[in-house]
Amino acid sequence: MDEDLIFDPSLKKKKKKKTGFDLDAALAGEQGETTSAEAPAESGDVDVPEDDNLDLDNFGKKKKKKKKTFFNLDELENALPETKDEKPPAEEPEQQEEEMVDDLDLDIDFTRKKKKKKKTIDELVMEDDLKSEDQEKEDDMHGDWVGSDRDYSYDELLERVFDIMREKNPSMVSGKKQKFIMRPPQVVRIGTKKTSFANFTEICKTLHRQPKHLLDFLLAELGTSGSVDGNSQLIIKGRFQQKQIENVLRRYIKEYVTCHTCRSPDTILQKDTRLFFLQCETCGSRCSVASIKSGFQAVTGKRAAMRAKVA
Amino acid sequence: MSIQNLNTFDPFADAIKSSEDDVQDGLVHVRIQQRNGRKTLTTVQGLSSEYDLKKIVRACKKEFACNGTVVEHPEYGEVLQLQGDQRENICQWLTKSGLVKPEQLKVHGF
Repeated sequence: MDEDLIFDPSLKKKKKKKTGFDLDAALAGEQGETTSAEAPAESGDVDVPEDDNLDLDNFGKKKKKKKKTFFNLDELENALPETKDEKPPAEEPEQQEEEMVDDLDLDIDFTRKKKKKKKTIDELVMEDDLKSEDQEKEDDMHGDWVGSDRDYSYDELLERVFDIMREKNPSMVSGKKQKFIMRPPQVVRIGTKKTSFANFTEICKTLHRQPKHLLDFLLAELGTSGSVDGNSQLIIKGRFQQKQIENVLRRYIKEYVTCHTCRSPDTILQKDTRLFFLQCETCGSRCSVASIKSGFQAVTGKRAAMRAKVA
Repeated sequence: MSIQNLNTFDPFADAIKSSEDDVQDGLVHVRIQQRNGRKTLTTVQGLSSEYDLKKIVRACKKEFACNGTVVEHPEYGEVLQLQGDQRENICQWLTKSGLVKPEQLKVHGF
């Protein structure tokens, strides 16, 4: 127990939850990105250019590749010349297809649609010219359906998007969100009936939370009483093991520390008109969190003593 | 044929019922409390008052081989008390019997 175990709630949680594809995490990450790109636009924050550049890069690339595949299909089907101006009828099916893909992609990424709409026909033509060079690059990456005239499946496209995402930002795969590491709580029994949580204030500091708030939560959750003593350690009534305290801390972090949208631990807890709000510093989201309630407490002590106290 | 407008339908019936139901949007809290020694106590708060808690506690006592009671609380209504750490048991039982949906259950404690 005394050796430096790394108590890392988010890591363990993630591992359990993770499905093979990591769609969840990626989704969350992307949502975070989109919000961060959009939110500052209203408030006029400084971060905007950086984010935008990143996004544009990625999405631009993806888009190009997507488009290309349509063009190929169209060409194969209609055997029409390549220049745009000469084939107004061919443009209609193209747009339909675009719409279809939009539908497919909706759940992956919300910014794409908007950006796509902005593209003018001129740009499309430009891309058409670029196509041939890109084509070669693409063939060796995902050659499965690109050359052939068979339709791509949704899974293939999805995999491709994620491949690109992993390629562009490797930090997402290796888990930049999992850097939330804190020291394990030091829990020592005092006598037979009390437990000491020695590094309580230290943990409060790493979580950036008021000791009182964490204290309230711990006591409500464990259904006991306790207080902070002179050496800034927490004395809890009852027997508790380190693992049990870890469990409760993990729940606290999940509810009151990590952002509910992007799961970043970089948050501020504010009190506003009796309600607690969690403000995320990374993605700027703000949501209310449940207040701490101890709920029903059964009588466990000696009833005679209680009666004597009241009377 | 009846005239719909004259029906005595109370549009707020649901709202009133749910607000009576529990303080916090229909959640059922399962808690554990330590007693003397290694003994523990499990409390279940927030079960809907439509159910007969006495019957529930009778079934639970038999199922988990423990003792238990129903306690009346002025704020939280009727609360179920079971001896020992029955959190796992009670959660499974409540969901299996269909009294509570899994997402309504909130387990507290270590």
